[in-house]
Amino acid sequence: MADNDVCMVQFQPGGAIVDAPAGTLIIDAARQAGIDLNIPCGGQGRCGRCAVVARAANGTDAIKRRSTLRLSADDIAAGYALACQTTITGDVEITIPPQESIARILTSDKTARAIELPFEFDRDRQPLRSYLLSMTPPSLDDQTDDWSRVQAALRRATGWENGFAIDLPTLRRLGTVLRAAEWQVTAVVEWDTWDRPAGPPRVVDVQPGDQTSHLWAAALDIGTTTVTLYLVDLVSGRVVAQAADYNGQIRRGEDVISRIIYASKNNGLAELQRLVLDTINGLIAQVCEFRKIEPQQIVKMVVAGNPTMQHLFLALPPASIRLAPYVPAANQYPTTRAGELGIDLNPQATVDCLPGVASYVGADISSGVLGSGLCSVVETNGDGLPVLFLDIGTNGEMVLGDCDWLVTCACSAGPAFEGAGVYHGMRATLGAIEEVWINAQTFEPTISTIGQEQGERPRGLCGSGLISLLAEMFITGVIDKSGNLNFELYDQAKLATLAELPTFRGPRVRQGEHGGEYVVVWAEDSATGEDIVITAVDIDNLLRAKAAIYAGCAVLAQSVGMSMDMISTVLVGGSFGKHINVEKSVQLGLLPDVPWENFQFLGNTSVRGAYMALLDREARQRIAEIARSMTYLELSADNSFYDQFTSALFLPHTDITLFPSVAALLERET
Amino acid sequence: MPVTIPKNKYSGAVREVTIGATKAEGGTRTTTVTVGGESTLPFLFHEGAMPHPPRIAVEIADRWPADWSPLLREAWGDAVDDPVAWAKAAEASGADLILLRLTGPVQRGDGSKPTAAEARKVVRAVLGATGLPLMVFGPGIADLDNELLVAVAEEAAGERLVLGVCEDKNYRTIVAAAMAHGHLVDSRTPMDVNLAKQLIILTRDVGLPMDRILMDPSTGALGYGIEYGYSVMERLRLAALNGDSMTQQPMLVTPGEEGWKLKESKVGEGVPASWGNWNERAVTWEVLTSSTLLQSGADIVVLRHPDSITEIKSVIQRLMAPAHNGHS
Repeated sequence: MADNDVCMVQFQPGGAIVDAPAGTLIIDAARQAGIDLNIPCGGQGRCGRCAVVARAANGTDAIKRRSTLRLSADDIAAGYALACQTTITGDVEITIPPQESIARILTSDKTARAIELPFEFDRDRQPLRSYLLSMTPPSLDDQTDDWSRVQAALRRATGWENGFAIDLPTLRRLGTVLRAAEWQVTAVVEWDTWDRPAGPPRVVDVQPGDQTSHLWAAALDIGTTTVTLYLVDLVSGRVVAQAADYNGQIRRGEDVISRIIYASKNNGLAELQRLVLDTINGLIAQVCEFRKIEPQQIVKMVVAGNPTMQHLFLALPPASIRLAPYVPAANQYPTTRAGELGIDLNPQATVDCLPGVASYVGADISSGVLGSGLCSVVETNGDGLPVLFLDIGTNGEMVLGDCDWLVTCACSAGPAFEGAGVYHGMRATLGAIEEVWINAQTFEPTISTIGQEQGERPRGLCGSGLISLLAEMFITGVIDKSGNLNFELYDQAKLATLAELPTFRGPRVRQGEHGGEYVVVWAEDSATGEDIVITAVDIDNLLRAKAAIYAGCAVLAQSVGMSMDMISTVLVGGSFGKHINVEKSVQLGLLPDVPWENFQFLGNTSVRGAYMALLDREARQRIAEIARSMTYLELSADNSFYDQFTSALFLPHTDITLFPSVAALLERET
Repeated sequence: MPVTIPKNKYSGAVREVTIGATKAEGGTRTTTVTVGGESTLPFLFHEGAMPHPPRIAVEIADRWPADWSPLLREAWGDAVDDPVAWAKAAEASGADLILLRLTGPVQRGDGSKPTAAEARKVVRAVLGATGLPLMVFGPGIADLDNELLVAVAEEAAGERLVLGVCEDKNYRTIVAAAMAHGHLVDSRTPMDVNLAKQLIILTRDVGLPMDRILMDPSTGALGYGIEYGYSVMERLRLAALNGDSMTQQPMLVTPGEEGWKLKESKVGEGVPASWGNWNERAVTWEVLTSSTLLQSGADIVVLRHPDSITEIKSVIQRLMAPAHNGHS
């Protein structure tokens, strides 16, 4: 068919028909039909988001694909084509699939995202149970004391023949509750704890009436930057609410080292404990408000976190963690009561801090290994190859092994990937930019913002947005491989062309108040009324963070004589783990260049491990075993780390052969 | 029983880089200098080739730098007040190349700012005074370096100068100027294998051909971290010989600059008597630093004192001797 022919193009759904000269791009024909296709990459055929299905009206080829990047052979066989890269050559019917919408459900949302049970829940496998007790009121004929009366009723209800324990504060309330409830109460009994495996059973709470339909407990992860809480109903085993917030200690230092230093100052330790307790109590208030319960109804909490966070939480002096030979006060902590710590739960609730491995590898990792299901992944893979588990947070921790052996190390990545310590960084909540594409010709970005469907305007960049932005800046040459901003992107000729664009409001790479910067969102489009930028300092911080994480992995692999390509599966945890873009992370050299299908993104594995420990004694024990069996590699005593770090301090890496897919991409782009 | 000396066979070699262009090549130099080409570690002639000896560049300045040791002034005499005379003296002292440093406001003593016009003039004058290949280094202040070196590159188009120094945070403009006018660059990084390699990659990414890049891994003087610099150079050279293309650049180091900024070289009074004769001490420092770096793979050493030049020339001659004596 000759070029001057006019083709009939019909769009589905809707059935709109337009006549388009042969050679028209599908995207332009669609526009003509009044259909606005999403083209995040600006129509460069890089993102693959504008894929449509083209069906020729008369059976012959009615389209011509200029590029099939991101389309598999199967896709092409099924008629898929990129609307921005495909021209029309004949009469054709174009079906536009529902456009992918990234409506992310926020962890801070009051609507708890369904968190699946990690295993079949059996309430007898965890130590808490509530019992409805009906007692005959005392009389002159039966002058048995209140506590003995309760114990007798409990023996009848449970079949337990020995005594029960009770804390004095509970005992003080006992008489009032019994009488007010007319001798019909719910007693919450904790049969054992990890450090008291044989009991005796303890009456944690006595509540009026029948309250056995729910039994509330909490799983907590104290991150250096983000604190996450699950509210769990131990009757069903399900997470019924969750909440997350920045750790209030951030204002006293962004990383563990500065917190440790602060803690050694006058009252510093007490203040840091107070700050994190305030954060935790805030989260408890949030979930209680959501479920319409009282904090006093929560009768247990399991706590995961890195050693420094746990020390500060328990007000244990953390100084020795920082100083050679890097020894914490404890890797296993005794259970304690909420009231003793000042947490707004039932004051008699047991607070169980999970055990860690070493000064910089804590319960977040031992519980994360369990939470990530590393061992079952190894089993499922069945190839005997080790699995890498990465927990990307302020500290990057990594574990490599096949469960018969596990090696682990930790490195400081800084809070950048959690959106903190970055000029316009923020948590992944409403208004956070979570994805960015940059046009390689105009350097104009296309962004996707959390909540944009509801009209939310961008207010900052969250971790996944930062990763996406940095990768795009790199691929399009806005920054060089060292992360330097390229101020020479806009020569006079280029500026003259760009000035004709209706959206062009000046060069996005510029000198700002804080040095070089790239403007992601102009003030008039942002929620804050100011330009949203990424600064040269931010870029350096992000580069250092990604280098630390990759270097940690590399050292770990090296320590067992393996190369990175021998890793069969990479499990990624961390507060932003679920939403991180693999492609972009590999382009940056944050994650190793293994096939995308070998990555599993798990979200916060630490709190998940705590949740599992809450549900099952054996899971709690497994965490302790994992903690005991891991071999810890102290990076500060290892020369190779620094070498690996500077080597990774480049995009994607000084040794490009480690990133063949990125090398191929760069080849294409240039 | 005969002893077999084990020999390493390497898969890679250092690139050859030629500095300076003769009239036929588009410049005005009477000689050019080619360095690199090694397929073995320094001076291990029984293992591989070292086709070019290490070379000596002599550092002069557009005017006397106020922070230089008075001993250097004494050694060169009044020549230091006139770059043309200084360049001639340097050539006479045995230099293979001249490194012209453009002084910055601090080095000038009077705080005056060098201008592009001045830089053009002095480079033109030095090119006229000597037929040796020339390297031109800026004052080391990013904006000023860019301004001056762009002008110099244009002024001396086609001469295959070495422009320096390019650093991680400031290389693009200088590299672009070198590309546009047919020059080379000095790629300097602070004593780290990875950083050295990274800047070579960045420079290559801008588009400068690899045979126009000198790798300057920087160094510390004797007693001031030379072991570290030595080890970095050795590792870079091993990487090059093992086929890592991005490290296969000839290396330039500046032992003169390092040696002469020490207290031991700069201060003659109020120091312990056991330190001995000031001049002898300072020159020895420069010589020992340089001769050590020759062993770790330096292709060009930049020196400051005429006595050091004589000494190092002799060291190079003696180290290279087996190559010409037919040892294999």
